[in-house]
Formats: sequence, C-alpha cells, structure tokens
Amino acid sequence: MLNLIRNEWMKLWHKKSTWVMVALLIAMIIGLVAITKWIDSNTEIPAWEQSVTEELTIVKQQLAVPDLNDETKKSLEDQQMLLQYRLDEGVAPLSNKEFEGFMMDSYGMSSIITLLTVIVAAGIVASEFSQGTIKMLLARPVRRWKILTSKFLTVIAFALFLTVISYVVSLIMGMIFYEASGGSLLEIVNGQVTEVSYWLKSIWLNVLALGDVIIIASFAFAIGTVFRSSSLAIGIAIFLMFTGAQFAFFLRNYEIVKYILFSHTFTQIETGGSFIEGMSTPFSVFVLVGYFVFFLAISYWTFTKRDVTA
Amino acid sequence: MKPIVELKNLSKTIGKKKIIDQLNLSLYPGQITGFLGPNGAGKTTTIRMMAGLMKPTSGEVIIDGLSLRSNFEEGISKMGAIVENPELYKFMSGYKNLVHFARMHKNVTKKRIDEVISQVGMEKRIHEKVSTYSLGMRQRLGLAQALLNNPKFLILDEPTNGLDPAGIREFRRYLRKIAEEDGVSVLVSSHLLSEIELMCDRIAVIQNGKLVAIREVNSIEQSQYYIEVQPVEKARSILTDKGVIIENYDNGLLINVEQSVIPAIVEQLVQQNIAIYAVSHHRKTLEEQFLEMTGGGQIVESNSK
Repeated sequence: MLNLIRNEWMKLWHKKSTWVMVALLIAMIIGLVAITKWIDSNTEIPAWEQSVTEELTIVKQQLAVPDLNDETKKSLEDQQMLLQYRLDEGVAPLSNKEFEGFMMDSYGMSSIITLLTVIVAAGIVASEFSQGTIKMLLARPVRRWKILTSKFLTVIAFALFLTVISYVVSLIMGMIFYEASGGSLLEIVNGQVTEVSYWLKSIWLNVLALGDVIIIASFAFAIGTVFRSSSLAIGIAIFLMFTGAQFAFFLRNYEIVKYILFSHTFTQIETGGSFIEGMSTPFSVFVLVGYFVFFLAISYWTFTKRDVTA
Repeated sequence: MKPIVELKNLSKTIGKKKIIDQLNLSLYPGQITGFLGPNGAGKTTTIRMMAGLMKPTSGEVIIDGLSLRSNFEEGISKMGAIVENPELYKFMSGYKNLVHFARMHKNVTKKRIDEVISQVGMEKRIHEKVSTYSLGMRQRLGLAQALLNNPKFLILDEPTNGLDPAGIREFRRYLRKIAEEDGVSVLVSSHLLSEIELMCDRIAVIQNGKLVAIREVNSIEQSQYYIEVQPVEKARSILTDKGVIIENYDNGLLINVEQSVIPAIVEQLVQQNIAIYAVSHHRKTLEEQFLEMTGGGQIVESNSK
C-alpha cells in the first residue's frame, strides 16, 4: 500500500498544475496579508476596554429578553461572565490585527485549500481513464480497492500538505507583519474562566477545517470516479461548495435542512454560528461522517465493479 | 505439456449481446500464438478478461493453475500485458514510468528495471519525458513494462504498430528468444496477418465470440503446386484425364499432387508440346486461410433479433 501511495504522490508532483496550485496558495496568503495590513493602516483601533464594554451591554440586553430557551441563555450567561472577567482582571481579548488573532484566523484559507484539493480529488481517478493509463494500472497484481484507497489517501495527504503549508506560511507572515498583543483567549471550563492556548486553538481550527476539506474532496472524488470526468466533478463540487450554504439557508425552516451536507461543517463546532437551531455537535458529526461514508461507498462500488473499456 | 493459460467456457454478455460465447483456449509454454479475428469478433474483450480488466459473465480464466476469480493477485502476477496502445504517463520520464509499475509488483528490483531497459534498447532516452517519445519508442517502453515481472504469459495487442522494419525484426527475434529460452507463452493479437505468419507458431481464430479454428502455422494440409503453362486448356484436359484435381489460380493452375509425381507430370506436358513457364510449390498465405476460415469480409453477424 505504501508503494501505491508513493506512486500516486509521484504522479501528482510530476504534474505542473500541482506546483502552480501550491504557488497560488502561498501567493494568496501573502496577498491577503498585504491587503489587510494596508486596510488596517487606514483605520483607527479603539481601545479594547471600550469594545468589550459595548459588547457586554449588548449581551445584557439580549439576556433581558423574556422566554429565552435554556441553551441560548446558557451561552449568553457564559459570554457575560467572560466579558466581565476581562474588564475586572484587565485581560485583553485577541485582536485579528495582532499576531495571536491573525494565527487564530489562519484556518480561513481552507476555502482555497478546498478548491485546490477538489481539483486533485476530481482528477486523480478520472485522469487515468482519460489518458488510457487505467489499463496499465489495473492489469497488475493489485486488487482494485487497494488502488482506489491509495488514491484517496493521496488526496487526503495533499489536503494535509496544503493545510500545513498554509499554516506555516501564515506563521511566517504573521511573525514578519504582526506583533504580539499579549491578549489572551478565555473560555469557560466547568464554570471557571480559564485561559486557553491560542496555538492549540489555531491548530485545532485548522484540523477541523481540514476535516471540511476532506468531506468536499470525497464528494469530488466520488463524482470523478463514477463519471470518469474530472471537469464534471470539479464543476459540480465547486458549484455546490459555493451555493450549498445558500441552498441550506433557503430551506432553513424545514426539517430536511438538518440532513443536508452543507448545513454542517466541522469548523462551526468550534466557532458556533450555525443558522439552524437545535443541532448538536454529535448530530453534525454524524451527518458529515454519514455523507463521507456514502461518497466513498459509491466510489468503491463503481471502481471495483466496472469493466475497463477505455 | 501443461498449459500456462486456460480459458474455460469463457462467456461475456454486455447488455443482451453475447460478446464472447463459451470460449475454450489453452496456451502452452514456449509457444507464440497469434490471435486473429475480424473486427468486432471479441478479441479485445477476451484479452481484457485475461488481463483482469473485465470480469467474465461466466467461465474461468486460469493462469498457471490459478483462477483469476479466486486468486486474482497471484494469477495476474504471472502475466504481462500491453492492451491496445501502450498508454503511459506522458508527464513522467520513461524510467519513472517503469519505477511506477515496478512498485506494483513484488520483487521487481532496480537491477531488473535496468535489465529490461537494455533489452528493449531504450538506454539512451529512458530519462526523457514520455511525451517526447515517438510511437515506436512508446511501443518499446510498453513492452518493457510488460516484461518487468518476468511474466510466464505475455499478452501483446498490436505490438508492432509504429515500429520501423528494423524494430519489427528485432522485436520478432526477441519474442522468439523469450519464448524459447524462458518458456514464456505469448499471445499476439494483430491485424497484420503477414506479421503474425512470421511471428507465431500457431494461430487461434475467433469469430462472433466463438473459437473458429486453431492451427499450426506452416502446417500444410495438402501439397499444392502452381504451374504456368501454355496453352492452358490443353494442359487442363491432360491433367484431368490423369485424375489430378485442378483449380484456376492467377494466370495458371493449382494442382493437388505430391512432390514425387511432379517430374512425371512435367515430362508428360513437355511431350505434348505444352510450354512450361513456371512450376513452384504453392502455400496458401495466412490471409487466404484466414478469409477461408472466417468467411470473407463480413464484419460481425448481428446478434440482435
């Protein structure tokens, strides 16, 4: 299996487009930093005490509304406790205009990573068919499921590689252009306000974002395997990636929205922010993993059953 | 002798169409078998089933005693194949392509890769990208990848396509060598009948998914001689009187006689004042035999009702 993955990795990096993708990702990060830096230089930053006080007022107003459900009430109370703690103890929050905040936001590059990984995932099986090399590849003493597994693992490795590249480049850019603020990240653990390492948090967010990338990649992989057309797979996957969330938003008042892939992401587990009420983390994970298994099942089924006529 | 490859009642149905119907064929070590058939006869489908690219609807492909159904990896590991054009990864060098395929087999060493490269005469350009290769060079590289695992059974689909005459000759000699020295069983499918005739020990002909004939190349069923004489009609009547079976052929006649009676016939014709321009041994070309076996130009019978 290791040899098969080495083969796929070798083929991947012998294509010029792969290098272009990596270059593009790095250029995007640098460009983004340059632009935000430029915009930031033209805006005034208010003192953190001021913005925290404002936020606290808003939270208090929200809490004053009658008939809040338990869940919302709990999260608002937690927020209030945190904000109060910051004011009392003089602990500054992280700002995305400083190094720590910038690193926390580094997972935002995952949309670009998804795009690039989708291109690879869509083509990795389909291109073997379009080049005709599938005959050479399958007339070997290796069972087909092993070949497909090596291809999928290569896609995951590629996504992981891009995530690491993105994190490392962000880190370098962050160290060059931003300064540490000394602010800290606070969370409530068992009713106590605790400081959380922003390093761990930023890595964790990147890992969750990688999970989202892999889900969409498995979708593109399945389409590419079933229809043997990489352009179709790239097209559909990217189209759904951009419109999926809106689609889910349209259906937000119906029960079915809970079962749509695009209503769920791994990152929202950490960041909150789902527009659909009453979806627990385990449920989201269950739906995402369900789709993932479904996409892979279709891929394996067609790939191992199909007669090669290309 | 024990066959290397056995096809047992092999059938393939696609949709409602029977592409291959109860095909039985055995291939023996050291033998080069030509695989012939008109377009649409099912040659490629048969080859794909042998190479593990298609699953038979029923029947078995057995390679060196191992059924592909139950022992796929072990069975296929005895085989090397070029199925249709050798499609290789154009964006990599020839060498990287070989490394790629070598990794998919057990026990193919670096040394073996170099050995194969020199066998197909690719040393000079093996590190260049395949996209810069000519068709003939790709064909050589295709052969190289098929030989990597020292196969006991080699499938070659249109192998000389794109090779120059010297290359074809070299290729033929090489096939002969691995068949004789290493006891490899080779199956060659080609449309070039003259090529098959020079290369193969025997031919298997299929039509409409059924095996029509297997015969040894160069085996002569009947001794025939070609004579060119003048006047033809007079010669014909003389020979018919002697009970010789005669066919018209070209400008002369084909007579079915043994070699030993030729001098007597010539003497007789001379005595009757018939001018003789040529007497030669006549062998039917493979093309004639092929057309005879497959019934001419018909491509494929319609199977739909």
